[in-house]
Amino acid sequence: MFCGTYNKVDMKPADYKSEVPVVWCPGCGHYGILNAIYRALAGAGVDPSQLICISGIGCSSRTPYFLHSYKMHTLHGRAGPVATGAQLARSDLTVMVLGGDGDGFSIGGGHMPHMARKNCNLTYVLFDNGIYGLTKGQYSPTSRPEMKAYTTPYGGPELPMNPLLYMLTYGATYVAQGFAGKPSVCADLIKGGLEHQGFAYINIYSQCPSFNSMDTVESYREMVEPIPKEHDVTDLGSAMALAYDSGRGRAPMGLLYQVSRPTLDERMEAIIQGVGGRADYDINRIIDQYRP
Amino acid sequence: MEKRDLVIRIAGQGGEGVISMGDFIAAACARVGQEVYTFKTFPAEIKGGYAMYQVRTSREPVFNPGDSFDILCALNEEAFEFNRHLLVPGTALVYDHADDGFTPVIPDGVHAYPIPMSKTAKELNSHRSKNMVALGALSVLFNIDEETLITVLTDKFESKGGNALEFNLNAFKKGKGLMDTVVKTDPWQIDDPVEPRDVLIISGNAGVGLGAIMGGLKFFSAYPITPATEIAKFVATHIPKVEGVLIQAEDEIASISQVLGASYAGKRAMTATSGPGLALMGEMLGMASMSETPVLVVDVQRGGPATGMPTKHEQSDLFLAIHGSHGDAPRIVLSVEDVNDCIHMTVEALNLAEHYQCPVILLSDGSLAFSTQTVPAPKPDAVRIVDRKRWDGLGEYKRYLQTEDGISPMADPGTPGAMHVATGLEHGPTGAPNYSASNHEAMHRKRFGKLSTVVDSFTPAQVDGDGEAEVGVIAWGSTIGVVREAIARLRREGIKVKGFYPKLMYPMPVRQYEDFARTCHKILVPEVNYQGQLSHFIRAETAINPISFTICGGIPFTPNQIMKKIKEILSCSVEHTTKLT
Repeated sequence: MFCGTYNKVDMKPADYKSEVPVVWCPGCGHYGILNAIYRALAGAGVDPSQLICISGIGCSSRTPYFLHSYKMHTLHGRAGPVATGAQLARSDLTVMVLGGDGDGFSIGGGHMPHMARKNCNLTYVLFDNGIYGLTKGQYSPTSRPEMKAYTTPYGGPELPMNPLLYMLTYGATYVAQGFAGKPSVCADLIKGGLEHQGFAYINIYSQCPSFNSMDTVESYREMVEPIPKEHDVTDLGSAMALAYDSGRGRAPMGLLYQVSRPTLDERMEAIIQGVGGRADYDINRIIDQYRP
Repeated sequence: MEKRDLVIRIAGQGGEGVISMGDFIAAACARVGQEVYTFKTFPAEIKGGYAMYQVRTSREPVFNPGDSFDILCALNEEAFEFNRHLLVPGTALVYDHADDGFTPVIPDGVHAYPIPMSKTAKELNSHRSKNMVALGALSVLFNIDEETLITVLTDKFESKGGNALEFNLNAFKKGKGLMDTVVKTDPWQIDDPVEPRDVLIISGNAGVGLGAIMGGLKFFSAYPITPATEIAKFVATHIPKVEGVLIQAEDEIASISQVLGASYAGKRAMTATSGPGLALMGEMLGMASMSETPVLVVDVQRGGPATGMPTKHEQSDLFLAIHGSHGDAPRIVLSVEDVNDCIHMTVEALNLAEHYQCPVILLSDGSLAFSTQTVPAPKPDAVRIVDRKRWDGLGEYKRYLQTEDGISPMADPGTPGAMHVATGLEHGPTGAPNYSASNHEAMHRKRFGKLSTVVDSFTPAQVDGDGEAEVGVIAWGSTIGVVREAIARLRREGIKVKGFYPKLMYPMPVRQYEDFARTCHKILVPEVNYQGQLSHFIRAETAINPISFTICGGIPFTPNQIMKKIKEILSCSVEHTTKLT
């Protein structure tokens, strides 16, 4: 295994565009995020053949089709664990997870804490539009409270969850937030995630003009606030204080937190080293332990 | 007359050393060339509660725990009470007598040996040596080779350091000494030593783990579940030695997802679970079918549904294994009959997954999970490894290229020029989504059609016996071992019976089933589930109309049960089955 280090190549954003035409609704924020991903990949110099992009189901989970890379379009909510397996199998490659708030935090919510705790060497870009778009507009785990939508004609009964606080709590080692209307900021944050060793989570607000009328480009522009320059990204307490206030009212934009902690693949590699693992290990030595 | 086939049951309380006593006897027997089959039940509690360990030993291969026991060693009164109804005339009873022991009413015709186990242990200043005292007594009574037992104990305790060895050997010898004045009245004897063979004593679960390592496994994702967790323990211990990885996932959905991801990335990957876990994996198994990704799931079946009877034996996941996914989701389903199969079929299962690029489900069961058996020591060098077909680098790469055999070359991520999408959406040859009627039908034909050669790629079923038979028995899983013995005994009585033992459960080897049925007047299908799940598939896919014989009490069949049923069928004038012509 070669944990997380890769040879940088000289690429342009356009080199990551696949031949599949990008199809989202006109005005969808996801176009901006896709653009940021192209730029981030070029900035990080990831060789497309050394890149695996994995998604679940949802509008944003189509993104891998638009990327020139190895990719897997899996089941609703399962992109994270599929990516975890792929990354451990080939820790010399770069693995990204691309998906939405329903996919990641509702049906896939059970996996999120564990990817963070394990410090899986993945870059997770979550397109947070606060709505289920592909199924035509149901409230999601990050929707504003009382949102009236397809299945909540009298208003949603739940509180929105806080993705940033959640990720910080469970031990993600890179936590950032951006907004689709600021592709350059997003590109930098995603690039940072790609270059980070460990679980990088980038939450990106995105507008859904078709189904979420409560959150518009204008409302997002008003609510995002760049994180002050003096913020110490290694201080969990400060990061949590920033995240604590984050929501569809006021949202810090930028890098909240980044620390170094052994990654899951590094730990697995250490176990292999510790037992003197080798591909041509003599299995008879294991068999001998079961002789009567 | 001494008997060549002997069953010793040791019963006591969890923590009393029942399991280690059984292990020592089993090891000693195997070292002197006997075949061994052990069977144990654990208490639900970690300490205390009823624990039982049964060792069956014979010069001939043994396939099941036996009908009952010949010898009961009861370490306490509860253990005696538990087994009292099985103490038929002729059985031997060795029990803890006198101080702190008990004084049972001995059933008629039982050879009773009261041994002051607790008292002797107390004199040695350790109640923990009670099992060694008992072992000493048993060795004298039933001809367990003393020298061999001492080497077994030495191997076990020497490494523990301190005075563990001396202490245990002393208790063992004290136990032997107690027998000086005892007169043996029962006929039970372990066979004299023969030339030892190159064998292992290993459980079904460890066997699966060993097969996986020999089969080139590189990734395992685990989630704890009874009775399968021991597989993960084995793999966790050994897979790093072959540069592989095991991680524990947050649930079974994550386990199978991680396996799928690792396999997509080019590694041989598997997980092991029981019925509840397999049920959770259903959607992702469909994803593996659709995306044509090799994955192996071992299902160690237990009593169900829901939480059911987690520690009990049942063969009730056949429906789930074959059809457990939405849509038309092809997979290969295999089953194992004994520990030897657990080793070698796991290798085969990995090969089949890689070759056919589909999910493979290997069905084991609770009876095999913890049973240890003597098996021929496997030869890792002789193992045949089949790798997935990979892209040759020529021309344009198409992941789901239509080929003659339906198998499209895969390309590992990292390969320049073969970037592609693996997808759960219906897709055309490149992986691009395609919902046209003609494409969906063509792709189904590809995914199902490629499995048409599975039946020819290994021995899908074994036939036990030849010629015509009055009754043919079709059995799967660990029931096979019971049926083999029942058939052998009936043959000695002059009854014409044959057995058919499928290892490939799906796709069903229909021709083999029907060829077998043509040679039998009636077909009996015994299985440990309520619905007669294999009978159901036989009726659905073949022209055979079998007699279904089901039990589901959480324990396996005994040879006597099968024999009785066959005799009942033979004495019944009603034609249950139309013989195939």
